[in-house]
Amino acid sequence: MRLWPRSFLGQVLLAVALALLVAQTISAVLLWQAAENRRQAAILNTAAIRFVTAPPDRIERGTHRIRPRGGGLRALRIETTATDPILPGETRDRDAEHALRELLEAQGIRIGQLVATRRMATDDPLIRSRPRLLARLQRRNNANRSLLVAGLKRGESPQWEVVRVPFPRPQRGVIGSIIIQTLVIYIVLVGLHFLLLRRITRPLRALTTRTESFARNQDRGEPVSPDGPDDVRRLIGAHNRMEARIEALLNEKDVMLGAIGHDLKTPLAALRVRIEAVEDEAERARMAAGIEDITRSLDDILSLARIGRAGEPPERADLAALVASVVEEFEDMNQPVTLRDADRIALPVQMTWLKRALRNLISNAVRYGGEAEVSLLRESRQTVLRVEDKGPGIPGERLDDMLEPFTRGETSRNRETGGAGLGLTLARAIAEQHGGQLALANRPEGGLRAEIRLPPAD
Amino acid sequence: MNDTAPINLLLVDDEAGLREPLAEYLARQGFVVREAESAAVARSELLDFTPDLILLDIMMPGEDGLSLCRHLVEARKLPVILLTAKGEATDRIIGLEIGADDYVVKPFEPRELVARIRSVLRRAARPAEQVHDDTPYGFEGWQLDPLKRKLTDPDGTVVSISTAEFRLLRAFLDHPKQVMDRDRLLDMVQGREAHLFDRAVDNQVSRLRRKIERDSRNPTFVLTVRGGGYRFAADVRRIKAGQD
Repeated sequence: MRLWPRSFLGQVLLAVALALLVAQTISAVLLWQAAENRRQAAILNTAAIRFVTAPPDRIERGTHRIRPRGGGLRALRIETTATDPILPGETRDRDAEHALRELLEAQGIRIGQLVATRRMATDDPLIRSRPRLLARLQRRNNANRSLLVAGLKRGESPQWEVVRVPFPRPQRGVIGSIIIQTLVIYIVLVGLHFLLLRRITRPLRALTTRTESFARNQDRGEPVSPDGPDDVRRLIGAHNRMEARIEALLNEKDVMLGAIGHDLKTPLAALRVRIEAVEDEAERARMAAGIEDITRSLDDILSLARIGRAGEPPERADLAALVASVVEEFEDMNQPVTLRDADRIALPVQMTWLKRALRNLISNAVRYGGEAEVSLLRESRQTVLRVEDKGPGIPGERLDDMLEPFTRGETSRNRETGGAGLGLTLARAIAEQHGGQLALANRPEGGLRAEIRLPPAD
Repeated sequence: MNDTAPINLLLVDDEAGLREPLAEYLARQGFVVREAESAAVARSELLDFTPDLILLDIMMPGEDGLSLCRHLVEARKLPVILLTAKGEATDRIIGLEIGADDYVVKPFEPRELVARIRSVLRRAARPAEQVHDDTPYGFEGWQLDPLKRKLTDPDGTVVSISTAEFRLLRAFLDHPKQVMDRDRLLDMVQGREAHLFDRAVDNQVSRLRRKIERDSRNPTFVLTVRGGGYRFAADVRRIKAGQD
């Protein structure tokens, strides 16, 4: 599972949640600290007040006074004793002593000795000496409450006055309310953000889908209707205008190509008819071959320019039969083309285009390699249309160049071999149009291997 | 075709550069040719002249070839061969769908055009062969659409077949369960691309088997009859529109 969401909506919502978490944590800590300080101050004040209000006579009488009514820890007022109030093993609370000393001195009390510590109520010897109080504490589940125990020797007095103030129960409510508050804010914020962001992301998603399908096949679907905030609306409007412009350009191109095709092929047709009047048979054959070459180049150029324009819809075709019918065309012209293995494989393809790609590969193999062996096979889920020859192959470093337009194997543009050098370029474009690729490789035993590799149908 | 009755052609093309030499060439081949440089001229020519066949360019200013073709086929029942500069399969299918008998793609070999003219006329002269019944055939889940020349297997997968294989299969489908000897098959199949059919019938049969038989060494559709030729063994029906 990925923790960082990839979508705009998810990222914003996560960022809001994180920011809120940090802010609320800081404010919770601050609140808690303030409450803690107040609590500390309140306890020290209580302790100080008890020392200040303790009647000196009782202290002198050496009796400790326990308030008779009420119950619990609050009833413990003040004790006068000769023993040190700090039990062995206890640590003194210096901060509390310091604060208490200031409070008492401000009230004009002469301090001989002052000690303070914090201890569990159930560990206190005075409470332990009073079984009823102890029992009640344990019953009320107050056993874990702690006391501030402060001892004071006034002036030169040998007696300790000891005050016990219970710490209030820890305020769990504060944290709870902060969590609830955080949740409420989060839900409100996230809800608002969600509504707002969806107004942006929904039209963006529609635009993305549309752009993808347009990029794939310039399909003339409904344009995306402008929606959402102004910025997004403007983006969609701009996209629609661009799409319309691209479509107009492509249509113009189609019309232009059609016109070029027509305007060049008609005079070629006329020429082809006229050469029938040539008496010399060999001369006439050469002329006819020349016209055929021009026609083929023209077809390749027009096809290359047209490829990608939605034309023929893909049809589920038996590739074995398709390969066989192309090979048979060559057999009929007495060309050395053989069909090796042909597995029965059916794929949705544009048949005329794929035949054309295969035809180009085979005629290349025949032209440069003398003969062609064609096979159709399946290789790790891919469908491979393979054409092999026994020619010289192509130097390794030139393999990639061969796919560029107007490149031919031999550098001399030999008339005899013909063609505009578009054959492989077109074959590659057709393979890519089918979601596949064209791979060229030199066979270890010599010769070139050209493969159209098609992905499995979805 | 004998020499006693000259064949009359009407050649409709707006490009004088092609029309004139082509008319000359066809005249040298023994045809009587009239020329028209537009659909409108062609229509007025046709008022007092009934050709045996019309050669019609598709792309013309004014009324285009397809529109005129529809008129000629429907109203005049005249055989038409379309001359087209476009090579796209869809254009060919449209041409055949509106009733043209054949098409050639420019630039064409003049001899091939002549062969096609003769072949269309030969078929037109044999009405018994139901030249225009283009209802799809069905056999054991397979379908053959004569108009689109499309063969599909029981899964609906398109199986490419050449023109010669198409003609051969159609001949079999027109005469199922009958023994067809090689001469008869050759005669029935020899059509527009006669030169493509120079190879023996046996060769074409083995190609066709490679495409439609599950195991071409043990055929179940096209059976060899010892000493007699071939026989198509499956039941064949015609599939009317709207029916699967």
